[in-house]
Amino acid sequence: MNGLSNRKLLFVLGPVTGLVMFGAVLVIATFLTNREYTQPYRAPAAVVDTTPRAAGLEAERTAAEATARATPYVEAEYRAFPVVGSRVAIWAVAQLHLLFAAFVLAVPIFAVLIEAIGYKTGDKRYDRLAYEFTKLLSVSFSLTATFGAALTFMLIILYPKFTNYMMSVFSPTFLPYVGLFFAEAFFLYTYYYGWGKFHPLVHLALGIGLNIVGTAIMFIANAWLTFMMSPNGISDAGALISVWEAIYNFTWMPINVHRVIANVAFGGSVAAAYAAFKFLQATTDEERAHYDWMGYIGNFVAIIAFLPLPFAGYWLAKEIYAYSQTLGLTMMGGAFSWLFIIQAVLIGNLFLGANYYLWLGMGRVKGAQPVQKFVKYLLIAIAICFMVWATPRSIIATVAEIRSMGGSSHPILGFLGVMSAKNTAVNILILTTYMSFLLYRRTGKTATVAWAKTGHTAQLLIFASAAIFVIFLGVYGYFVEASVRIGLSVPQVSAVLFAMVAITAIDYFLYRRPKMTADVRWGHMPAISQYVLIFIAVTFTWLMGLMGYVRSGLRQHWHVYGVIRDTSPDAFTPTLGFATQVVSVTVLAFFLLIGFVFWLASLHDLPDFDQRSSHPHERSS
Amino acid sequence: MTIPHSVRIAGLVLVTTAFYGYVGQLVPQREVQPPTETVLRADMTTADMVKVGGELMVGKGLCMTCHTIGKSGALRFPDLEGVATRASTRIPGMSEIEYFAKSLYAPDSFIVAGFNPGMPVINKPPIGLTDQEILCVIAFLQTLGGTPTVTLQTSHAYYTPPGGAPAAPGGAPTNATPTNTTPAQAPVTR
Amino acid sequence: MNIPVVLAVAAVFTFLRFRRANLLVWAGAWWVGLYVIFRFGFSAPIPASVVSLYMGIVSIAILAYVSSSEQRREEISGPLIRFMTDKRYTALLGATVVAIPALAAANVYVQMNVPLEPPLFPRTVHPASPTEITVHDKKIDLDAGENPFLELAVSHPEEFRKHVENGRRVYYQNCVFCHGDNMTANGMFVHGLDPIPTNFADQGAISILRDTYLFWRISKGGPGLPEEAAPWDTAMPAWEKFLTEEEIWDTILFLYEFTGQKPRAREEVHTQ
Repeated sequence: MNGLSNRKLLFVLGPVTGLVMFGAVLVIATFLTNREYTQPYRAPAAVVDTTPRAAGLEAERTAAEATARATPYVEAEYRAFPVVGSRVAIWAVAQLHLLFAAFVLAVPIFAVLIEAIGYKTGDKRYDRLAYEFTKLLSVSFSLTATFGAALTFMLIILYPKFTNYMMSVFSPTFLPYVGLFFAEAFFLYTYYYGWGKFHPLVHLALGIGLNIVGTAIMFIANAWLTFMMSPNGISDAGALISVWEAIYNFTWMPINVHRVIANVAFGGSVAAAYAAFKFLQATTDEERAHYDWMGYIGNFVAIIAFLPLPFAGYWLAKEIYAYSQTLGLTMMGGAFSWLFIIQAVLIGNLFLGANYYLWLGMGRVKGAQPVQKFVKYLLIAIAICFMVWATPRSIIATVAEIRSMGGSSHPILGFLGVMSAKNTAVNILILTTYMSFLLYRRTGKTATVAWAKTGHTAQLLIFASAAIFVIFLGVYGYFVEASVRIGLSVPQVSAVLFAMVAITAIDYFLYRRPKMTADVRWGHMPAISQYVLIFIAVTFTWLMGLMGYVRSGLRQHWHVYGVIRDTSPDAFTPTLGFATQVVSVTVLAFFLLIGFVFWLASLHDLPDFDQRSSHPHERSS
Repeated sequence: MTIPHSVRIAGLVLVTTAFYGYVGQLVPQREVQPPTETVLRADMTTADMVKVGGELMVGKGLCMTCHTIGKSGALRFPDLEGVATRASTRIPGMSEIEYFAKSLYAPDSFIVAGFNPGMPVINKPPIGLTDQEILCVIAFLQTLGGTPTVTLQTSHAYYTPPGGAPAAPGGAPTNATPTNTTPAQAPVTR
Repeated sequence: MNIPVVLAVAAVFTFLRFRRANLLVWAGAWWVGLYVIFRFGFSAPIPASVVSLYMGIVSIAILAYVSSSEQRREEISGPLIRFMTDKRYTALLGATVVAIPALAAANVYVQMNVPLEPPLFPRTVHPASPTEITVHDKKIDLDAGENPFLELAVSHPEEFRKHVENGRRVYYQNCVFCHGDNMTANGMFVHGLDPIPTNFADQGAISILRDTYLFWRISKGGPGLPEEAAPWDTAMPAWEKFLTEEEIWDTILFLYEFTGQKPRAREEVHTQ
């Protein structure tokens, strides 16, 4: 036995030693070859003989020094980043900074809400859940700050001219930003470390302060980047006229709103991924139940925030068009039009994943079969909308296919590629997801109020009429002029929002005191549901990376659109394939780091080292 | 043999990211270069200008991002097929060159019925075509249903070439540049 | 829509409904059925790129459906497990194991084995003509003008015949090699041409065009086409270099005479 393991050890050690020796030989050899011959030390002679070689080296050195002295100081416009280039370097760092920042800003929003619910209802579970969300924050906060510092340094090093210009425009905003950052650190750490140490209301106030400060930080940073996209408050030559106008530019508010909502959706999905990670590693039913519930809440937050996101996106796009048609059309019709097909694939997957998770969740309740039978129709609606949304405007086709289609646009698919169809599809997707949620909510419950039947009919009627109205407007859009067509998306959105609010209101009263036919068995979920949560988190992250790229890439060869021209070698707009590769690598880096954060957070639950060593098999049993 | 959850999760993250990266490879790959500053030689013929104008409309001018040539159906912006014919007749007494110039320098002056105003000023950033480049674009537009007549010496309400008297008849200037363009190019008014 | 294909798919689905097929069969049937409809169900075929996009979505949706409840998961995994473990199916299982890589290989072969095709340039066949052109230093107004010899048909019929005969001579000396003996675009050079010449005998060709339009096309030829119609992408020479203005007008008279068609009338100038 002993001999065998020795033999094994030798098998492993043999190659390792070989490698080490090979490496050592290599190092020694390079060391020796790199070494010039130097004369051994001798007592300095009275006269130094200058060999021709020494004289030549001396002359070379003085010449180099002379040229160095003679070169005047030139202000650099750009400096290059090794290997990947400046653009990719700053892109990846900015994206990572943004992802962590989004997470750090989002988690306090719903952590405070959940804590408040816990305080109001007195249910300890909520308090524990909020604390668990908060545990993820402190490491993420320092990572955010680190990436932020890296981003700042890299901007100064790699893009000095542009950075200088931004500093000159926004100089009054930088110190308040730093001040707010301190305040953020203060609130975050007192909120986290002071958990359960203060009066609940004081603690809640700390949380609210954290949110206010965090949002303010984001608003300031948004002013900088939206200014780059839609500069305002400056003269034609780029000189500053009004700082406030530069801050309050066309896209500032839309980006603020869009980002707050998207951050919550993203934060919810990442927190749900954390819960999934813990669920999969859980060893007891109790833990499983808790993390199932946590994942459900995280996903619920993500989906609720996700539903209004397309509308916020439309507003942003509308403001971009209002600022500059050129910018808008570059986005939707020019170089970036195919990006929105990729986006459709991502969002389609998100909707599908979210619905799928809800359907799986119906399995938590015994006797969900009556509700389960609707899944088929919901799925068909989602698949059709997904297809419509993913249909490209200009189809890739071979020559033979174009001939047989009779032109480069297909007689039927041509109708699906335009905005009318896509608006309709996304509105129906939102309605369908909402329906899935509603169905999930009523599994295992029966309405007991006297008007139950009327209530259900009314809900169905509202839903059907909203759907029909949305589809009607979508079809109607083909028969009117462009100026009318653009305005149609507003009533579509209003109809969907109205239907959602109205049905929720009815539902609230309908299920106020329901008869419970079965209990919710938290933790009774197949493992695949947890992987779906992680899939949703990855998709969200990737989507943020992609949309971050289009927002920034939209300016094409401008640093500040129409004001500061990009003259660096990276001024071109890369192919979408390249962009998606960078996004993918950034997303992987984010998940590597967030995995580290998760691991750190889960260290908290491990017993201490000396306790563990006294019961070595406690955890593995 | 069970695979640890952390490995499975890492695998899922990797596969999902790779999948989206793959979707990104499936779409058409186009790299958009920043517009190059073309030097317009002073002795360009009208035919040269048409060629340069066509390139500008696709490239730096971004015209073809919105406009189409020879398309019908539900359009967002006016189609340019045969636009020269329309431009010369739309405003009585206004030549197509003046009409084009006004559409490019002050785009909201003329809005085609059924469309929304939305064209940017072409001689200002971010598009920022030079006056000479705009003349080339006008030359190209004239070929759509007409015959190009402009030269770099053509003047209109928004631009007077150096050395050329404002809207002076007579075509080729005397001293500015030795041109070998076709002689007796009809001046602006037709 | 291609009605027979849609009906056939519907018939198979109805048959499965009566047979009370299990979920696995249904999932397969939906996948194949939708593929058949996307691929063959439309009279204007959907390009392969879009079909694969749609089938990707369909695959994800079907996978989501069959695994969306415990009961469905059991229904779908039961037959699969039996297939993989039951002794009866060993041979079939082996065949499947071999068939999957074989199918993948076959797919790769089919994908790679496509003939080379030139990139497509969508050219406009009848682009808008300019309002006027210059031929032999003479400005020809294409909008308001018309064949100057056309009026002879009424006023001087014998003079008119002479012009037509001259056109016949010009046609059979110059045009016949491509446009053919009886103007059906089957001249002896046709096999080397892409795009093929215009078939004048076709009712929808020259009768929908004005004679000035023909004059433009004949005198300026392929090189004179505007940008959208891909200049030089046709073998039509610029005949102004070989023929006089009168010869071109005569040929146009002959074209309409021979095919028994009339040029499209001049439109009244519509005011906007």
